Amino acid sequence: MPSELLIGLIFLPLLGACLTVLPWRWSTRLGVFAGLVSLPVLLVALTLAVIREGAWYYSLGGWTAPLGIRLFVDPLALLMLWMVAIIGGVAAAHAWHDFRPGTPEGARFWPLWLLLTAAMNALFLSADLFNLYVCLELVTLAAIPLIAMAGTATSIRAAMRYLLLALLASLVYLLGVALLYNATGTLDLYLMTQTLAASDGPATSLAFALIAVGLLLKGAVFPLHVWLPNAHASAPGPVSAVLSALVVKTAVYLVYRLWLWTLPAEDPMQGAVELFAVLGAAALIYGGILALLQERLKLVIAYSTVAQLGYLLLVLPLASVTAWQAASYQLLSHGLAKAAMFLAAANILHAVGSDRLADLERLDQRTPLSLFALALGGVSIMGLPPSGGFLAKWLLLEAAWQEGRWLLLFVLVLGSLLAAGYVFRILAAALRRADPTEAEDAEGTSPIGRRQAGYALLLALLALLAGFGAAPILEVIDAGAPAGWSAP
Amino acid sequence: MIALTIDAIIAIGIVWLALQTVRGANVFSAIIMFIVFGLIMSLAWARLHAPDLALAEAAIGAGITGALLLVTWRRVHVLEGRTPQVGMAARSLWLTLPTALAAALLIASLGWVALTLPAEPATAGELAWQRLPEMGVSNPVTGVLLGFRAYDTLLEMAVLLAAWLGARVVASELRPGALPGPAHEEVPLVGALLSLVVPISLLVAVYLLQAGGSAPGGAFQGGAVLAAGGVLLCLTGRLESADQTSLIERIVLILGLAVFSSVGLMMLPLGEPMLAMPGVWAIYLIETALLLSIALTLVLLFAAAPGLRRSS
Repeated sequence: MPSELLIGLIFLPLLGACLTVLPWRWSTRLGVFAGLVSLPVLLVALTLAVIREGAWYYSLGGWTAPLGIRLFVDPLALLMLWMVAIIGGVAAAHAWHDFRPGTPEGARFWPLWLLLTAAMNALFLSADLFNLYVCLELVTLAAIPLIAMAGTATSIRAAMRYLLLALLASLVYLLGVALLYNATGTLDLYLMTQTLAASDGPATSLAFALIAVGLLLKGAVFPLHVWLPNAHASAPGPVSAVLSALVVKTAVYLVYRLWLWTLPAEDPMQGAVELFAVLGAAALIYGGILALLQERLKLVIAYSTVAQLGYLLLVLPLASVTAWQAASYQLLSHGLAKAAMFLAAANILHAVGSDRLADLERLDQRTPLSLFALALGGVSIMGLPPSGGFLAKWLLLEAAWQEGRWLLLFVLVLGSLLAAGYVFRILAAALRRADPTEAEDAEGTSPIGRRQAGYALLLALLALLAGFGAAPILEVIDAGAPAGWSAP
Repeated sequence: MIALTIDAIIAIGIVWLALQTVRGANVFSAIIMFIVFGLIMSLAWARLHAPDLALAEAAIGAGITGALLLVTWRRVHVLEGRTPQVGMAARSLWLTLPTALAAALLIASLGWVALTLPAEPATAGELAWQRLPEMGVSNPVTGVLLGFRAYDTLLEMAVLLAAWLGARVVASELRPGALPGPAHEEVPLVGALLSLVVPISLLVAVYLLQAGGSAPGGAFQGGAVLAAGGVLLCLTGRLESADQTSLIERIVLILGLAVFSSVGLMMLPLGEPMLAMPGVWAIYLIETALLLSIALTLVLLFAAAPGLRRSS
């Protein structure tokens, strides 16, 4: 039974996408319903199965690896799948208003959205390097047109730039995969480890270097982040939310899988984790400073993504159970908070007609609910208690302290200070009183505005609640720590 | 000795054509060089005993990609009255030199590493040869694409669908206009040629599909050949762009993905694993659906239109 759940998570959105290509309104509604609403239900059952039975494999077509392709589910995959279901689901609900089924925009939007959902689910479940390449391509090719759906010249240019760099990244990744297959005779992430431990040629080192470059480019890790800010800032709101919360995380997720699961502990390429940490630190500081300098709300939030991705790489050299918890919690809480902020920014942009910080005065009267969601998301991004972001950053500080990494400790504090800077800068701009006349509450008076604000608020509250309800989540996550990270 | 000479010519030709493609400011000649490059590449694959790859490279790499590049050039050149030139940035030495050096370094290290690779056979490939008889087809490439790694092929169909959906989004934002028609008055021979070539492209496509079980061929090559027939019909004005995607076109576009997934799911209630093929007939059924989806997607991408209709 549990294995059918994995099939459902991939194939329901995939077949849903097929349905939404058909011209009728009911087929679009049915496709979206079957592909998105079903996911949390499947995941509840899957979570219970993982708690009961631990991680397991499923051989597609009955062909066992290395011949066939395996799916693999463990607590990390489960966490990512939950994020796709919840963040993707709430963002889809937010998108429902702008991209109604039956309208031309809706007809273009939903097939791509469902393909993106299916591709991310497939990616988080795949245990095969080449299959992961196909998944990465599908994620990219479904995400990029969604950026262009904004219909502005900036968005199309940003989408094109993203496309060219992402294709380059895929090509570099694929070169690495081909080399690894030649050196080890398998494409399976977990079977490869034994062969890799036995061989230590330059081929595998070059392969991992190429794969790392490809993934860092796809994951927009500093200094390969150049495509991200414009692409994420010019996309429609719900698309920005999933791009920042989920799509760039697919590359980080693969870095974790390859370095913490596939690569043997004594391999010389393990040294790359120190380089990842340096890049992470640089991203944290550079992204934070650039976020402080932006004049537009969505660009501030996009640069904040560049910075927050840094934390996910900083964790890599720490190798302790605390660091593992920190990484998982940063994945989760940044996803929720950032999606909330992008949805809120979309509402503000819609109500005000501009997202220039200079035009955002008196938001507490004009869009109070969205501003509240934005602020709550900001609280988690800054790492103020009791949010999920606080917990992630606290665990990270603790892990750095245990390892005696003082420089890292300093960078972490600096990163949080910069985050506080750009979040308070947004709030200061939003609470300004430009002229004394009372403005109308654009959101509270219209049911649509209230509902759209509600979706942003829901994600922001979840990011906050993640701080309170941490114990059961961390218990499941601990069981999935990579080898070498679990023992105290 | 002759074999070595041929290989040397191909190897030098590939590098020279690649160089001709990237240097120079004239986009049109770069496209032509790229098409020839694809053809020589397909010869190289044939020399490396990879006939399936050779067919795919010739049909998709040189054929369809070349047609897409040429039609793009023609749209920019004829409809917008601009002659596309390689941008100044691409010609500045400060950018090209480091890029070339980085590429050279990468190629050199790849070559060096390839020489150090152990010559032992790859395990998964060996296994595929041994267990091919269980599949019911004798072409190992079809065995891998529709059997052992059918899941990859299925997701690639989703990639193709995403490519069309993406092109539809961009086309609806930018409105590229109808395909430029023939530049001059139609010669009487065009009709005669079409009535010969288009049926042949259908015949070759079906042959490639059928042959895929035991010899080089399959849905991707067949689909590209069928698409070439469709491209010809577009170029000669027999088919023109429509504003809407018709119901039949929509069904054909999702046919490959839908049939593949359905056959894969069919065995689950019987207790078989996902994507276990119930028999050789299932492989041919899936390949037929894939061929139709691939061909239509490629023609629609070429026309940059939501749909096609017969011209009045």
